[in-house]
Amino acid sequence: MNKNLKLKSARAAKDMSQKDLAEAIGVTRQTINAIENGDYNPSIKLCISICKVLDKSLNDIFWEDDNDENR
Amino acid sequence: MMKTDKNELDEMQKAIRDRIGNQSFMLMFYLLLLDIGLYGFGIRWLVYPANVMVILIVCMAIYLVRIIAKNSYLPPQTHKTKPIFRLVLTVIFAVILAIAIAMFCGKISSFPTDNGNSAIILFIVSLIGLVIALIVSIIKRNDNK
Repeated sequence: MNKNLKLKSARAAKDMSQKDLAEAIGVTRQTINAIENGDYNPSIKLCISICKVLDKSLNDIFWEDDNDENR
Repeated sequence: MMKTDKNELDEMQKAIRDRIGNQSFMLMFYLLLLDIGLYGFGIRWLVYPANVMVILIVCMAIYLVRIIAKNSYLPPQTHKTKPIFRLVLTVIFAVILAIAIAMFCGKISSFPTDNGNSAIILFIVSLIGLVIALIVSIIKRNDNK
C-alpha cells in the first residue's frame, strides 16, 4: 500500500504530532502511524474523523490519483 | 466526530487482536492434534492432564505476548496513565496466589499420585508467562515514551 503523504502534510500544516491527532480522534498513535505508512486501511468512519480534525475533505486526504498510485 | 469509548480498543487494535486470536487458536488446534498423534505412537512427553494444560498455557502466553507487543492489549486512553505500580502489584499477587494454591493443594493431597511433578511444571510455566508479559509491557511502555 502507498504511503499517505497527504495525511502527513495536512497534519504537519496543522502543527499536530501523531499523538495529538490520535488523541483528538480517540485512537492510538500507532494507528495514525500505520495509516500514514500505508500499513493499515482505515474505515470510512475513521477517515471522516481524521478529515474533520484536520479541516479537510475526504478527497483532499484519501483520494489517490494516477500520480500517487505510480509512486 | 467519532470518539471511541475510553474502554474500547480502536479499530486497528481490534483487527490485530482478531488476527492474532485466530492464529493462536489454530496453533492450539495443531499442537493438540500433534499431542494426540504422539500419544497414538506411544510417546508421552507429559502425563495427562498436564500435557493439555501446558499446550493451553503456551498458546495463551503467545497470544498475550503478541497482543501486548502489537499494542493491542489496552485501549487508547489508558495509555496516558502509568499503572506500573499496579502492574507489579498484580504480578506479585499472582505469584503469591500461585504459591499459596500449590502449598494448599500439596497439603490436602497427601496421598501418592501418579501425576509426578506436573503441578510444579504448570506453576513454572505460568510463572514464566507472567514474567514474559511483565517484561514485554515494560519494554513497550519505554518504547512509547
